[in-house]
Amino acid sequence: MSAALIAESLDKSFISGAVRTDVLRGLSIEIVAGELTLVSGPSGCGKSTLLAILSGLLRPDGGRVHALGHALARLRPVELEQFRLRHTGFVFQGFNLFPALTAIEQVMLPLGYLGLDNETARKRARVALEEVGLGSRMQLKPAALSGGEKQRVAIARALAKEPQLLFADEPTSALDAANGQIVIDTLHRIARTHGATVLCVSHDPRLVTHSDRVLAMEDGRILSDRRTQRPASA
Amino acid sequence: MIPLARKTLLHEWRRFLPSALAVAFSGLLLLVQAALVFGIFNSSAVYIRKSAADLWIGYPGTQSIELGRPIPHDAEISALMDPQVARVEPFNWIDGDWRGPADKGGVSVFVSGIDTRADGMMFADVLPPDLRARLDEPDGVIVDRADLAKLGLSLGGQAVVNGHRVRIVGVGNGLRALGGVNIVTSLATSRRLDNGDSRGEVAYYVVKLRDAAQADVVAARLLRSSSPTPRFGVWTKAAFSRRAVLYWMFETGAGLGVLFLAIVVFIVGAVITSQTLMSAVAGSIREYATLHALGVGFAQLRRVVLAQAAWVGAFGLVVGGVATALVVLLAHRRDVPVQLDIATIATCAVLVMGIALLSGLAAVRTLRHADPALLLR
Repeated sequence: MSAALIAESLDKSFISGAVRTDVLRGLSIEIVAGELTLVSGPSGCGKSTLLAILSGLLRPDGGRVHALGHALARLRPVELEQFRLRHTGFVFQGFNLFPALTAIEQVMLPLGYLGLDNETARKRARVALEEVGLGSRMQLKPAALSGGEKQRVAIARALAKEPQLLFADEPTSALDAANGQIVIDTLHRIARTHGATVLCVSHDPRLVTHSDRVLAMEDGRILSDRRTQRPASA
Repeated sequence: MIPLARKTLLHEWRRFLPSALAVAFSGLLLLVQAALVFGIFNSSAVYIRKSAADLWIGYPGTQSIELGRPIPHDAEISALMDPQVARVEPFNWIDGDWRGPADKGGVSVFVSGIDTRADGMMFADVLPPDLRARLDEPDGVIVDRADLAKLGLSLGGQAVVNGHRVRIVGVGNGLRALGGVNIVTSLATSRRLDNGDSRGEVAYYVVKLRDAAQADVVAARLLRSSSPTPRFGVWTKAAFSRRAVLYWMFETGAGLGVLFLAIVVFIVGAVITSQTLMSAVAGSIREYATLHALGVGFAQLRRVVLAQAAWVGAFGLVVGGVATALVVLLAHRRDVPVQLDIATIATCAVLVMGIALLSGLAAVRTLRHADPALLLR
């Protein structure tokens, strides 16, 4: 299987005052499509920074990223925005939903920027919300939704764009066991049925058993890379 | 497209209320300040604007009406010889020392001696014919309603000006000007009050032209007749009025003080508005960062924030406008000199809207400089 995401010798450091912190040190990975890949590690090990760089949100100090055949370093800021708009979806720990919008409007919003008309956007949003099990909650605003439901709206928002790359940053840490499980299953299904490349960073051990592949990260390096044995139908 | 800016504003109006109120107060302060500045300084030209004269002839170089000095009689003759001149009317302006009731001490007054004819040019807009006619009573004076308290007298009250007894025969409205109390008398009374200091000369001649549009041409022609050593100056109504306003605005400490205050008001308004609007926008910064991660460009996000800023600005302007209207109305009732014209209102509106939009842009900048990896948790 060809790699959808390739990172070669990534370096990244942050300078805060006189202190320089190396977050990534010569990190290289390849991530294939159709799988749920988990990057796990303790807080501050650089997982989120890695995700930001692989998704084109952040530029590395050194090294290269190829995403879906594009060398991200060569893209101008506007082209990077276009790349993300067309090909990527994001799910974050904090949901980041607009309090003023109903669930279906949250999902429709990015579709409008993709250039879809309202009718098409509404149809796609409805399908995505049904897929995450929120068919009956579409007209509710975030204040009326539970944490798990909010996260599923956020997943539907990412999913409706039909992205080839889906990035999830600690998607389950704010959720209880049941909701966490639903989110994990949904992410996994997206990788399987939509053929998307799903990259998830988390220190949530529940995710480990449900991932196709687990990369353990510490101090800006990948320590181990292993495939989990789990039934394909899960 | 989902109307994000509008929906967010309506849903989270409490978050945007402080900035809208800041805009409203900035607008109110700017407008009231401007109204006062123009009201106060235009009141220095109130006599010029409320009279029907097309030209003013006065002492050479006179900067403001209250600085008038006696001019020779031949100014009147020069004017009457011009074919365009329809009428010339003397206008006397002298300083007076008003002594009224004992508890009010002395008050410095300016005495305007005017032609009391029903169609007289001086104060044509503020003194109706019946009021002017009352000035024919020897030693009769008219004072402004707003000055009555200062003088400690009412209609029919008596006082002494420059050693001569006078009686208040009428109360006018809109006679108040900068620099002191103004009282109006007939030309004859003003000459008596002058004690002969001016040797019968008056400070101004005001001129009615056959064709007001020729004012500039005739003014230049009359001025030439005054050379080579100018014995009098000639100004059109607009030019003399502007001269008075500029003199008070820029040549006196009071004027610069008020202008300085207006600038301070603008800066304070700008700072408060931008801070509140930026914090209102920053409240959604994670959501915007998420949209940006999803590929929505900064240009499009800027449009959303600017739309919000524009709505906040518009709402603030409406509230500020209504509040200003109320304040101006109250000021009129209390005879406080205020004046607003469309150009001033438009300028203040543009400034306030500019503050709101710039604050919106500044808020977008904070998003651009934020680290997405830290913001997106």
